[in-house]
Amino acid sequence: MLSTTAQSQLCRLRPIPALKPRPLTTTSSSLLTDQSPPSTSPPPPPSQILTLRRSLLSRQVTAVQIAESYLARLRLTEPHLNSFLHVSDSVVREAQSIDDRISRDEDVGPLAGVLVGVKDNMCTADMPSTGGSRILEGYRPPFDATAVRKVRELGGIVVGKTNLDEFGMGSTTEGSAYKVTANPWDVSRVPGGSSGGSAAAVSARQCMVALGSDTGGSVRQPASFCGVVGLKPTYGRVSRYGLMAYASSLDVIGCFGSSVADTAILLNAISGHDRRDATSSKREVPDFISHFTASNTLEDKPLEGMRVGLICETLGSGVDSGVVSVINAAASHMEELGCIVKEVSLPSFSLGLPAYYILASSESSSNLSRYDGVRYGSQAVADELSSLYGVSRAEGFGSEVKRRILMGTYALSAGYYDAYYKRAQQVRTIIQKSFKAALDENDILISPAAPSAAYKIGEKKNDPLAMYAGDIMTVNVNLAGLPALVLPSGFVDGGPFSLPVGLQMIGAAFDEEKLLKVGHIFEQTLRGRRFVPPIIEDDNTC
Amino acid sequence: MAMASRTLLLLKGAIPTNHRRLLFTRNFVAFSNSIPLLHTKLDSVIIRSCSTSKSPSSSSSLEPPDLPRLAETARISLTPQEIEEFTPKIRQVVDWFGQLQDVELQSVEPALRADTDGDQLREDVPETFHNREALISSVPSYEEPFIKVPKVLNKESE
Repeated sequence: MLSTTAQSQLCRLRPIPALKPRPLTTTSSSLLTDQSPPSTSPPPPPSQILTLRRSLLSRQVTAVQIAESYLARLRLTEPHLNSFLHVSDSVVREAQSIDDRISRDEDVGPLAGVLVGVKDNMCTADMPSTGGSRILEGYRPPFDATAVRKVRELGGIVVGKTNLDEFGMGSTTEGSAYKVTANPWDVSRVPGGSSGGSAAAVSARQCMVALGSDTGGSVRQPASFCGVVGLKPTYGRVSRYGLMAYASSLDVIGCFGSSVADTAILLNAISGHDRRDATSSKREVPDFISHFTASNTLEDKPLEGMRVGLICETLGSGVDSGVVSVINAAASHMEELGCIVKEVSLPSFSLGLPAYYILASSESSSNLSRYDGVRYGSQAVADELSSLYGVSRAEGFGSEVKRRILMGTYALSAGYYDAYYKRAQQVRTIIQKSFKAALDENDILISPAAPSAAYKIGEKKNDPLAMYAGDIMTVNVNLAGLPALVLPSGFVDGGPFSLPVGLQMIGAAFDEEKLLKVGHIFEQTLRGRRFVPPIIEDDNTC
Repeated sequence: MAMASRTLLLLKGAIPTNHRRLLFTRNFVAFSNSIPLLHTKLDSVIIRSCSTSKSPSSSSSLEPPDLPRLAETARISLTPQEIEEFTPKIRQVVDWFGQLQDVELQSVEPALRADTDGDQLREDVPETFHNREALISSVPSYEEPFIKVPKVLNKESE
C-alpha cells in the first residue's frame, strides 16, 4: 500500500488541479524537492524526471504505477487531442522490468520509468514509423534512430509515435495524412507544427517529455503554441541517424518538456557524436543541468551582467500586439534578474524566410526521392517502372509535400540553380555572420517564437504563403545552425480561452548550457498562472 | 503474374548502404541537375559543377514553373486538377523567392550548411547490416533473391 507521502508524490507527478490561493511565505522550491512551495502565486514546475527518480529509488512509487497513471490520462484525453499515431502496447511491461531491476538493487538509467513521446519521423524498430505520410503506411523500420536508442538505453519508455505534418513540412500538424492534432489549450486551434503531436502530448501530460524535429521552427513554434518548453539544439549536437530527412543541412532532433530541467535531462540523453551521422559533432557534451541553480539559493540578481539582445525585427508590424506585450514583459523580467537588455538589429533578417524555403524545398526534393514504392512503403499497381514511381508517389504524398518537391525540383533545375539555390546559400552566409556578430556583443538573443498565438484549425490551410510567413521568427536560427530554447512566458486572450506564448532564447553554437541555465532561472522566478492547459486542469484522479 | 519481361533491379546480396544507394540509383538520371545532399567531399564538387553558365540576369528571364515537366522530372503523376490547383500556388511562392534576385551578393561565399564541425567521415569499409530479414520483409514486391519491379519502357520505342 502506498504511504500518504507516496500518495501525494504520485499526485504531484500528475497534473496539479487548479490551485487555490496560498498563504504568503517565502519561496523555497529547489530543483530536487518534492515539496510544493508555498508562495503568492502557483509554483513553477519542478523537474518531473528528478522527482520521479527519487520516488522510484526510494520505493515510494513504482514505475508501473506511474506508467498506468500516464496511460489513463492519455486514454482520457486522446479522443480530443489526437496527439498519437501509434501507442505502444508494451509500456507497462517495460515499466515492470524497471521495477524488477530496482527491486534487485540494480542500477537504472537517468530516464528510468520516464514516458517519452517520439515524433513519427524518427525510426522505431518495434512500432510503425510513417513520417505522417501514406507512402510509409504500416512501415516498420529495421532499426531505432540513435536518439531513440539512447533514450531506451537510459531506461526511457517510448509511449508512442506522435503526429506531425507529413515529413515535417508544415507549421500546424494539419498536414498529417492521418489526423489533425488539437491544441490542449483550445481544441479548435492548432498545436503548431510540424511537431504538434509531441508538443500537445507533453502539454496535456500524456507523456513526460517528447522528441521532435526542428528544420525551420518545428519544435519551437509548437512549444510556444502549447505552453511547453522546446529546445532546438545546435546542428550536429544530436545524431540525425534514423530521422527521416527533410532538409539535411537544417534538420535537428529537439526536445519537449514541461520544465526546462526535464528538457535539459532529455537533451543530455540524446546528445553526442554518432559515427553513423557524418554531420554529428565530436565536441564533448557537458551535463546540461550540472550548473543549474536551485531557486531557493538564487541571489537577488542571479543573471547580473548578462547581456541580452532583443531582436527588433521580430517585434515590428505583423506581430500580434499581445505577443509583443508578453515579450516586453519577459524582457522586463530578465532585467529584474539583472540582465542588460538592449534592442539589436539583425540585417537581412527578413531574407531568411525565402532563403529557407528555397533550401528546404530543394533539399527535400532530393531527400524524398527515395520514396518510390520499390524497397519499402506503399506500392502502386503499374505495368511500367516510371508509372510505378509516379503513381506510388502521387498516391502516397500529400499536397504540401508534392508542392515542395516540385518547387525544389524547379529551384535546382538547369538555369535556375544560380538564381535560387546558390543565392539562398549566400543569404545563409550573411545570416550566419549577422548572428555571430550579435552573439559576440550579447550572451543571448531573445524574440518571440511565432508572430501570434495558436490560430484556428483550417485558418491557414489553403494559403501556403500565409503559413510560411509565420516561420519568420524561427528559420534564421536553422540557417545559422544555432541552439534555441522556447519557454512559456505569458498568455494572450484567445476568446473563451487564454493562449500561451513562448519566449525564444537563442545562443551561440554549442552553448546550450548557458541557454538552459538562463531559461531555468527565468522559469523558476516567473510569477503568474501555471502553464497547465484547461483540458487537464480538473484532473482529480490523485 | 508473369509479364513479358521484368526488370530485375537489385540482387538480394548486394543491398548497398544508404549513402551509396543515393549515388547509384536512377535519381541521378531523374534529376540530372539536382543534387542529393550527401555530406561528402564528392557532394561539394557536384554542387559546384552544377552551377551553369546560363545565369539569367534578372528574374524576368526565368521561365515560370512548368508543372507537367517538373512533375515528370520529380516522378510524381499529377492529376489535371492538381496541375490546375498547384500551378498558381507554386508560381506565387516562386515569385516570392524572386526577392533574392535584388540582393547584392557578389562577393558572398555560399554556405553549404551551418558552420559547425565539418565532415566526420568513417572509414570507407563496407559493413553488413545486422537485420537484413527486416529489410527484405519491408520490400513490397519480392521474389528471392530479387526485388521486383515492372519493366522499363524505352521512350524512343513508344
